[in-house]
Amino acid sequence: MKPAEIARPLGVFVIVIAVVLAGSAVLGAVAGGGGGGPTDGQNVQGQSPEQFQPESVNPDVDPETGDISVDADDGTKEVLIDTQHGNAFDRSDIEPVVEALAEAGHTVDFVPSGTSDRGFGSSTSYNATLQEYDALLVINPTEGFTEAERAGLQTYTDNDGRVVVLGEPTQTGVSGGGLIASVSTVSFGANDLTTQYGARMGAEALFNLDDSANDNGFKSIYAAPESTSSLSEGVDTVTFENAGYVARTGDSDATVLYTAADGTKTLETRRNGTYATVVRNDNVVFVSDSDFVDQDEVYDADNEVFVSNLLDFLTSGDKPDDVPETATDDGFGDGNGFGGGGDEDTPTPPATSTPADS
Amino acid sequence: MAASSESTSATTVLYVVVVVVAVLVATVLAPVVYSATTGSGDSEDPSVAVLTLRGGTSGANVAAISEDLRQARNNDSIEAVVMRVDSPGGGVTSSEEFYLAMNRTAAEMPVVTYVEGYAASGGYFGIAPSDAIYVKPSSLVGSVGVVATLPSALESQNAQVRSTLRTGPDKQLQTVDSVREELELLQNSFVGTVMKHRGDNLTLSRTEVSNAATYRGTEAVQNGFADEIGTLESAIQHAATEADGIEGDSYGVYYKEPPSVTASIILARNDVESTNGSIVYVDQSEEDTGTDFVPPVRYYAVYGIPESAVENQEVVTNETG
Repeated sequence: MKPAEIARPLGVFVIVIAVVLAGSAVLGAVAGGGGGGPTDGQNVQGQSPEQFQPESVNPDVDPETGDISVDADDGTKEVLIDTQHGNAFDRSDIEPVVEALAEAGHTVDFVPSGTSDRGFGSSTSYNATLQEYDALLVINPTEGFTEAERAGLQTYTDNDGRVVVLGEPTQTGVSGGGLIASVSTVSFGANDLTTQYGARMGAEALFNLDDSANDNGFKSIYAAPESTSSLSEGVDTVTFENAGYVARTGDSDATVLYTAADGTKTLETRRNGTYATVVRNDNVVFVSDSDFVDQDEVYDADNEVFVSNLLDFLTSGDKPDDVPETATDDGFGDGNGFGGGGDEDTPTPPATSTPADS
Repeated sequence: MAASSESTSATTVLYVVVVVVAVLVATVLAPVVYSATTGSGDSEDPSVAVLTLRGGTSGANVAAISEDLRQARNNDSIEAVVMRVDSPGGGVTSSEEFYLAMNRTAAEMPVVTYVEGYAASGGYFGIAPSDAIYVKPSSLVGSVGVVATLPSALESQNAQVRSTLRTGPDKQLQTVDSVREELELLQNSFVGTVMKHRGDNLTLSRTEVSNAATYRGTEAVQNGFADEIGTLESAIQHAATEADGIEGDSYGVYYKEPPSVTASIILARNDVESTNGSIVYVDQSEEDTGTDFVPPVRYYAVYGIPESAVENQEVVTNETG
């Protein structure tokens, strides 16, 4: 075979291959990045970012430890828990508090013993009720106290009857569901009573966004004792959920016992300030939150110690049995011991107004 | 003569065989050459890819945009990404996915965001790693916070739990406390992300960011939630300037269309969709989830209120005056 006979077919072979491959190359270049490229899954950066690590993310949780303990050093007492003023709380929620009182030998009533159809229409009947008890615990009243009731309570506290009022700021809640939800606005109802002791519920709820100043939620603020007192003994921090603040009246004798943590602001108007959450005026203590006695929260932070102190306060009074006076002996400023008048029966409307369209 | 014609036909056969063999060999080699030329990328015009996310950061929407981002990363001719976004957020988990996809892309190439309408809550979570955020005055950003659907779901769940037998006290039980702890955990990762990526720009503290306010474009440029007032074109130009592989104006712009074809299917699967800025919660209770159980509490990084909340409501107060 001549060299040319090999060279020619070989040349054709090379040319055909060259043409096909050149065509592929051109096609590949024209088609662009439709395929190929580096495989996904390489050079992964930043997929476990520092702000996602457990130490940056996991919240601190307050331990729910401790016990509520009440002493009976001053003898066993009778405590009335108010249910006559639209008190918005569940009895089941405050079972730990009732249990602690009972364990110390104190007696707790929700409905006054001997209550009959007399009701509370007159100061006489209310005074008769108060006579039977050494202490009154008022939780989240949404209705007012009548003038006669307030007069009776003034005498009561003037004579070492103990009263603790736990309030809530005006709150809006949505209930129901389905097609029609119900929006309700609930305000503190007993400002007329607490004003008698130089304090009233503040106009707004409080919040604090600083994680070190709240208990996992901006509306669960921390508060700390402002001064040393029997009610602050053993307490570093308490936590109040959806709390308000206590506004003292101009000539108030009330002492501030607890203030909200630094940086706490009002929820609506964002005003920064030092907000009182617990005040005491002699035999009356007023707290601008009522949830901290609930089973869910009573063991948070040092709440159980504060509650113990509060129960000790309630059960350490020394009220004479015949106070306040009843029936014809009643001689208060209103000059009407028998009450029952229309004005006195009408609960006083709360001072705050709500722009509710109805 | 006969010998000559015999020789010619033999030569023809030889050439046919040679050509066939050559084609076969070339066919084998062609893919190698093809991928070598396509893989080089240098022969292409460098491009800025414009990706679009319109709608909630639902699982389906985020999966689609994550795939777009992955393609952009793997295409050597794409030197930068512009994310055009109009999203009020959505589920927390899918919003985190959005963030991780954006974060990974931003680690490889410039990513510039143009906020067409909303980049609120989960929408802002995702765009936080952007090299620059462009807004117009009506754009809405911020809402750095998490919400949980609590009310009736939790109550009915806990009631349900009482009618079942369980192996442990925490099994299938969620309390308000536990939901709040989870909310704070999710919020920490959200705020931490915003502070990590925007902390140097923000005039607001971490606590102020946690207020979860929304800001219009002009406010956002002042407080550092966004960088510039501008248009989509401004964002594209910014991205091209930042890109290493682009010099001057010689670059292409590749618009990746949002997945409109499958929109109806995706919306049907959404937890949250955006309609004129309001959030519509789509009830998934009748969907086949593969189980008879549904999560009692859902966590959203979303701007808006549940649709049920804007329906008929009755207003009650204890005011007596």
